[in-house]
Amino acid sequence: MNRTQLVLAALALAASAVPQGHAGHGGMNPESRAPLEAPPSELPAWIGNKTADHIFYKPAPYNFAVYRIPKLAYDLNAVATGHAMAYEDMVTGKAATLDSKTFDRINWVLNHPPKLMPDEAAISPTMGRLYGYLEKLFDWSHILHAQTVDLMIDPRLSWQQKDAEIERLWKFYNERAPFTITGLPMNMEYLDGQPYSGHFRKNYPKVNGLFWGYHWLQTTMYDMLWHVPTETQLPQYDVVGERYHQVELYKTDRDFMPMMGESSPRFSKRFPEMANSFDNLHMLHDMVNDILTSDWIPLAEKERQIKRAMWMVLASTHKGCKPGEGEPGTLHDHRYPMGMPGMGIMKGGDEEMMYMPGMGWMRMDECGHCSIALPEGERWGATVSANGWTMLVRCLLCARDMATETPGRAIIRASTEDPKTTLVLISDEEGNWKSSLSNVVFLEVLADHPECSSWSRAFTSAEAFRKFVADNPDYKDAKPLSLAEWSQLGQPTPETYRKIDKPNPYKPAPPPPPAKGEGS
Amino acid sequence: MNLRKHNSGFTRIALLAVMALVGTGTMMLGTPAMAHDADCPFCKLKLLQNTKEQDNEVVLKYGNKKIEYRCVFCAIADSKRYKGDLVVLAPSEKKGEPIVLKRTAANWSAPEGTVFLNAFKKHADCSLLSRAFTSQAALETYAHKNGVHEFKATTMGDFVKNALKPAG
Repeated sequence: MNRTQLVLAALALAASAVPQGHAGHGGMNPESRAPLEAPPSELPAWIGNKTADHIFYKPAPYNFAVYRIPKLAYDLNAVATGHAMAYEDMVTGKAATLDSKTFDRINWVLNHPPKLMPDEAAISPTMGRLYGYLEKLFDWSHILHAQTVDLMIDPRLSWQQKDAEIERLWKFYNERAPFTITGLPMNMEYLDGQPYSGHFRKNYPKVNGLFWGYHWLQTTMYDMLWHVPTETQLPQYDVVGERYHQVELYKTDRDFMPMMGESSPRFSKRFPEMANSFDNLHMLHDMVNDILTSDWIPLAEKERQIKRAMWMVLASTHKGCKPGEGEPGTLHDHRYPMGMPGMGIMKGGDEEMMYMPGMGWMRMDECGHCSIALPEGERWGATVSANGWTMLVRCLLCARDMATETPGRAIIRASTEDPKTTLVLISDEEGNWKSSLSNVVFLEVLADHPECSSWSRAFTSAEAFRKFVADNPDYKDAKPLSLAEWSQLGQPTPETYRKIDKPNPYKPAPPPPPAKGEGS
Repeated sequence: MNLRKHNSGFTRIALLAVMALVGTGTMMLGTPAMAHDADCPFCKLKLLQNTKEQDNEVVLKYGNKKIEYRCVFCAIADSKRYKGDLVVLAPSEKKGEPIVLKRTAANWSAPEGTVFLNAFKKHADCSLLSRAFTSQAALETYAHKNGVHEFKATTMGDFVKNALKPAG
């Protein structure tokens, strides 16, 4: 064979080894494929877990509607990322730099949030490998969080439809999801009274502050979104989101984590089981943080304690229990503050009153401004969101004057004569209000505060005002107030306001000085 | 109820009478208050309320907002957060007659003769020792009555300069 023939033969041999285009799908001859190598004889035990570790949203047309409020969607994406980054560092020996390097990394993400929700498993693979069962419990609850938010933002459904769907989502979660957190109120002092409790917040205040900042956002957004005109949700988030980024993420002086009933009292009253389950989820996060970062707990014991913490809040653990019942101060203490079934008993509190960090002692069934019992039914009063808190009040005067006394921007959500229409007012720093209802008018005829929800009201129009006055001759001389006129009014603190004078249960009083002659 | 040492015996009697009227149970759990149970937005200590003898409530008015502060120093120090014109109603030595301090186009002004006492070291004492007066004589009477021996009456300009200087 000459040289040319040799080259041609070599080329032909090479060509026969190359797939011949798409005809015949590859065209490789099976007899020429290299053999598969066998897996090693001993694989890690978790690989044998055949349960699916990833779940997805229950199919629904409203899924991902949160992106109609892009900043909120991105902030929630960043929350998931921040959680995952912190957990991964906790389980990979980086606890010592949680409040420095980890905090800096997370803070960067919070200020440059991802446009899409990340797969937390990709950010915290070690956490998933070590505590996959915990991640499943978190995942199901997080999906419930996400779907209810999407539902409330979708403009295509009426509020009756949305409320019915919220019930269905809860029913699905409670009855069909394999790992669920109880919707019963839990005694927070009990859960937060474990041997490891408080370790994380004491030793890593900055990262704990981020966690509680996320919880502030996640609890505050419900009243922001529920039963309000959907076109007001984005401007409300301008106020809430600004507060979140400038203040709430960086607070390291909170007494306790934010609770649903404190931050979204209306939603929590209407859907107490869901509110309780989110509080119990957030409490579980706190407990896991404490366990993971407590050096005195050996690794094997950490796993047992995490399983125990999970068990404490699982729905199955409390099967047969009822809200409002249970032995005080125990795992099965399911009492709640009067007027707020969507909250468990807090430290130092009982059914009569609770200590709200940042606000003091209060009764959840009373107006935050005038201390009179809150109205029920269609004329439910109003909420005021300002300075990071949200309070239920009896009437528009109480709402306005509470906001007037508080620095910064504020949001009032109020009932009107139309049960289907909620008025949303948003103020600037100077207390100038913008209304979601262009024709809103107000009645304000000062009388005794126990009746303030009668003489201080909002109407969707002047015609509605006139109809009310025609039906209520006591107000025949009343003139409808425009938004500008109503904004200028202001009253002193109501004479009915009662301050509950008890010490902060989260800050024990210093011990009394020794009597003369003692200790010398 | 604020039963600070500097309240007069008459005030204590009046407060006890109110407590008796309200009833022991209510006294333990809820007492009438002249202002909400709020913290000063600046120093974060409890707001002090007016008494029968003396006004203590400092109010900053900004647009439609009426924000209470613990003392006039706190109000002016916190005024940095507000961008436009505002007014601070500072309790004077005369009951029911606050001194009106104005900030207009970033310039502060007060009625002629207004002087300030600013002698506190810790904010726990700011309500007692950071106050406005209609005259030097009124300031000296107050200082003498409250056992303040080392003090200097300051003008509006100096008081504002001190309150607005950066911390530390």
